[in-house]
Amino acid sequence: MDIQRLKPHLPWITLVVLVAIVGINDPGFLRPSNLLGIAGDIVPLFIMALGLTFAIYIGGIDLSAQSVANMVTVVASVYLASMGAWVAVFCVLAGFLLGMLSGYVTTRLFVPSFISTLAVGGVAFSIAQWLSGQRALNMDATQRNETFGWMIGHTWGVPNELLIAAVLVAICLFIERRTTLGRALKAVGAGELAAAASGLNVARYKILAFAISGALAAIAGLLFAVKLSGGAPTIANGFLLPAIVAVLVGGTPLTGGVGGVVNTVIGTLIVAVIRASMLYFEIDATRQQIVFGIVLIVAIALTIDRAKLRTVK
Amino acid sequence: MYELKAVDKKFPGVHALKSINFHIKRGEIVGLVGENGAGKSTLMKVIYGAYQPDGGQILINGAGVRFSNPRQAMEKGIGMVFQEQSLIPNLTVMENIFLGYERQFVRFGIVDWKAMAAAAKAQLAKVKLDIDPATVTSKLSFVQRQLVELAKVLTLEERVKGDLVILLDEPTSVLSKDEVQLLFKLVRELTTRASFIFVSHRMDEVMELSDRIYVMKDGEVVDVVERGGATAEAIQHKMVGRNVDKQYYREHLQTPFDRSKVLVEMTGVGLPGRIQDISFKVHAGEVLCLVGTEGSGREAILRTIYGMLTPVTGRLKIKGRDANGYSPRQSVASGVGYVPRERKIEGIVAGMNVYENMTLSQMKNHSSSGVLRVGEERALAREWIRKLSIKAHSEFADCGNLSGGNQQKVVLAKWRSGGSDIMLLDHPTRGLDIGAKEDVYDMVRAMSAAGVGIVLVADTLEEAIGLSHTIIVVKDGRMQKEFACEPGAKPTPFDLLHYMI
Amino acid sequence: MTRRLSRETMIKWAPLLVLIALVIFFTALNPTFFSLRNFARIAIAAAPALMVAVGVTFIIVMGSIDLSMEGTVSLTAVSFAFIFAQLGGSLAGLGWIAIPLVLVIGGVIGLLNGLVHVKLKIPSFMASLAMGFVGTGAAILLTGGDIVKVSDATFRGLLTVRWLGFPLMVYVAAFFLFVGWFIQTHTTLGRNFYAVGGGEDLAHASGLNVTRVRVTGFALAGVFYAIAAMLVVARIGQAESVTGANFMFVSITSVVVGGVALWGGIGGVWNALVGVLIVNVIDNGMVVIGLPDFLQDGVLGLLVILAVVLSTDRKMVSFVK
Repeated sequence: MDIQRLKPHLPWITLVVLVAIVGINDPGFLRPSNLLGIAGDIVPLFIMALGLTFAIYIGGIDLSAQSVANMVTVVASVYLASMGAWVAVFCVLAGFLLGMLSGYVTTRLFVPSFISTLAVGGVAFSIAQWLSGQRALNMDATQRNETFGWMIGHTWGVPNELLIAAVLVAICLFIERRTTLGRALKAVGAGELAAAASGLNVARYKILAFAISGALAAIAGLLFAVKLSGGAPTIANGFLLPAIVAVLVGGTPLTGGVGGVVNTVIGTLIVAVIRASMLYFEIDATRQQIVFGIVLIVAIALTIDRAKLRTVK
Repeated sequence: MYELKAVDKKFPGVHALKSINFHIKRGEIVGLVGENGAGKSTLMKVIYGAYQPDGGQILINGAGVRFSNPRQAMEKGIGMVFQEQSLIPNLTVMENIFLGYERQFVRFGIVDWKAMAAAAKAQLAKVKLDIDPATVTSKLSFVQRQLVELAKVLTLEERVKGDLVILLDEPTSVLSKDEVQLLFKLVRELTTRASFIFVSHRMDEVMELSDRIYVMKDGEVVDVVERGGATAEAIQHKMVGRNVDKQYYREHLQTPFDRSKVLVEMTGVGLPGRIQDISFKVHAGEVLCLVGTEGSGREAILRTIYGMLTPVTGRLKIKGRDANGYSPRQSVASGVGYVPRERKIEGIVAGMNVYENMTLSQMKNHSSSGVLRVGEERALAREWIRKLSIKAHSEFADCGNLSGGNQQKVVLAKWRSGGSDIMLLDHPTRGLDIGAKEDVYDMVRAMSAAGVGIVLVADTLEEAIGLSHTIIVVKDGRMQKEFACEPGAKPTPFDLLHYMI
Repeated sequence: MTRRLSRETMIKWAPLLVLIALVIFFTALNPTFFSLRNFARIAIAAAPALMVAVGVTFIIVMGSIDLSMEGTVSLTAVSFAFIFAQLGGSLAGLGWIAIPLVLVIGGVIGLLNGLVHVKLKIPSFMASLAMGFVGTGAAILLTGGDIVKVSDATFRGLLTVRWLGFPLMVYVAAFFLFVGWFIQTHTTLGRNFYAVGGGEDLAHASGLNVTRVRVTGFALAGVFYAIAAMLVVARIGQAESVTGANFMFVSITSVVVGGVALWGGIGGVWNALVGVLIVNVIDNGMVVIGLPDFLQDGVLGLLVILAVVLSTDRKMVSFVK
């Protein structure tokens, strides 16, 4: 009973505790400039996690996010010269369409989402390799600065990435809390059969959720490409695990219906603090993956709603 | 030899078995009959070990036993032949027969298929089934599968010392007349090997096969009839005999409906394997009740009107317009509301609050270009919480935490607040306590008075009779009989039962 | 009834027909495709993938899924390289002991994987995905990101020694394929995979210990991944934390394209073989006819969707997450 009541609060308590532990051991960690820096560095990952939140919120998963981001880094690098700022629109649209494809395959063709998104991820990966000729690409520095320089500058000491993230959070939060789409997604995640029995077009909303996930993965890829001033078909590898961890640690369970955008904000910050603290405690960077893998298992085990799984396959 | 003494079983809010006494002799065939919800299936689950009784004793040859799972019951010689196929379709017949007990055929880790086939052949001979034991189960006919199930249970003979008791749960529901006779002949012959408990909706079959019949009602054994000791009518009376309080079903509030206004019209609607040639009209203010046994097609009819099932033949008109699309979305748009039987799964969304649930089917009414007007939603929810006196601390209460009755009120409010004037109610009082049931009856009357057309599938026959203007009895997917139910001239449960089984 | 039967038959034989059609197609475009030398090339590429596919076939037959193969293959490959070096670095010496040890390690990783899935009641795709990350992480930890060379000539003989035109590793893979077939058809465990996949509740009601079958299945898969890992090491002569990369996609694709149903109970190791060959023939054929090989992933992605769609009986599926 008490655990149940505590559960929704666990993510932010975890965050506060983690910050406190690191802060006590290294007061320098708590300097605003340091905190801002840490937050700014994680923005591309955060945006991907934000997208994944929608897929997981409806009880699905999007394993294509990383490949979509990879593909977008390549697309952005290749077409920046010819398309200018329009390349951003093109990238987001591409992500949205790939997400729609995943959603369509999942809902209309009855393929489980982890397979359909894996397959669509394969398609995205192929596109990336084809466009890049399997090489790492560089953007033209002046053109990047002219077109997308605003993305990575600072405004009054705050990294612009953070502002971009804040805008996206505001939009996603609005969708989640104030629109019919958000309400429908919640209903689909919390009780798909009841949503269908209420006359909602469940398939359409699920497709939209995957499409949003794809679009945000594309934005993540775009930002990453701008930051690194280039792209490659595997450049964002290593994003998927921490992004899934961020969503789940934040308290959106794999079974969907609960949690949401705010939870992912907290979850991403937890991931960021864990990363930073590993640095401070001089834990070898090579251990990072193993740590996140274990955190992922613990987070799923704690958050998953077993009442919703008739049999666990 | 097998005996239950004063066995009790309680679930939260329901006293499912009240001091049941039951015994079966060696080689006897005992029938078990009762209406839906009389406690038959609970009793069976106690017997084959799926439930543990809260009170009383289970005795085998006078010695007390306790099973914590079906496997333990099996080891004492109690086997179950399930109504739904419990054979795994992708395995061969012999694998199914010996599933979980393969060890006897394993030599050095290797399965000896020949030995298993020979043993399976011997089991199949018991039920006179001459098929290759290596056949994949999904290729068998229904009656063959039923016999394989029986053969599987009969393996207990070799494995268990002592007598066998075999439960047959609706074994005839998918069989043809000839196949039923074949099965009965076999069961009679097998009484040399085991005793049988036979459960069926079909009274004539129970009377034909059983040596004795236990009649259950409301969790009690109301009578035990010896073979030839009573007519089918007498037994049916015992199954339903109950004093019906007219007040309870608000009969005095029943008003004539408007025959000039047809809301739903079905003509010759059919769905292969589920319903056939269904035709009726629902008028404004009419409560039309579909009566039948489990699986008779009542639910399929409701779901067809709601657009969740698409009929293959016939046509459906809603408010005079052909319903061609058959999607819930379209039905909702034309004013149909659906209160599903599985309230917690299809009725409400647990984890969403009262106002979110209420507007789920009508978000368009409370949003502009996709943006919700939450203040308006909350006001609507507050209004209906007051109107139906829903017990919730506020419109922010999680519907998953409300009581069953209040959840049902939220579901009803969801449709009524959206202006639905055709309501499909599937077991709306299922699992509710008496007070909550009465609230639902009041709401049904109020809707009827307001000119809403209602199609109802009731929990009990009394409820159906008490609430309805019209009753249609459905059996095996076909309409059997239509009854008019004016107050004072209502049919009795027995009249209906006659056409149901 | 007859229509259903023909549908079943069609689904059963479709993968093999596709494989034959592909071979004919590529041969028509470039006759050198149909040569012993090229077939050996396909077989070498397919051998490790086949072992992974056989392992995951057992899991999919149970109706679960295992996405941990990348991590498990990397970790067992790295473990093998280290243990092998520790034991003298030669198969002729004590090095052979590394082989059974690594098989055990693979089994233990699989066992853990199964326990996390069953005991913590986490859906297998997520439990195994997370365990896969842990496996890769452990491999990174062991190597520190470096490459470990295995250059023992005897061990590399798996690749270099040929018999009838095919290197030894192909025969090793064939042998373990046979072992997989034997487990599938002649052991209680193998049959129990089908029982669980065909109807978990029913199997449970019949008194089957479903939990144990599941966990054992994952352990068995782990052993097959370990075999795959050693074959990869023999083929490329080194192990690193990315040795297992891309096995997840390729093996799942192969198994599904080969006709193993994702919801369990249908298909087996022969389907895995056909699937792996289809995938590798496409891969090889694209190079032979001069198409860029990086289109492979996209083609396979579409193929897997197509395969699932064609093999799914729509009426059976109520809703899919």
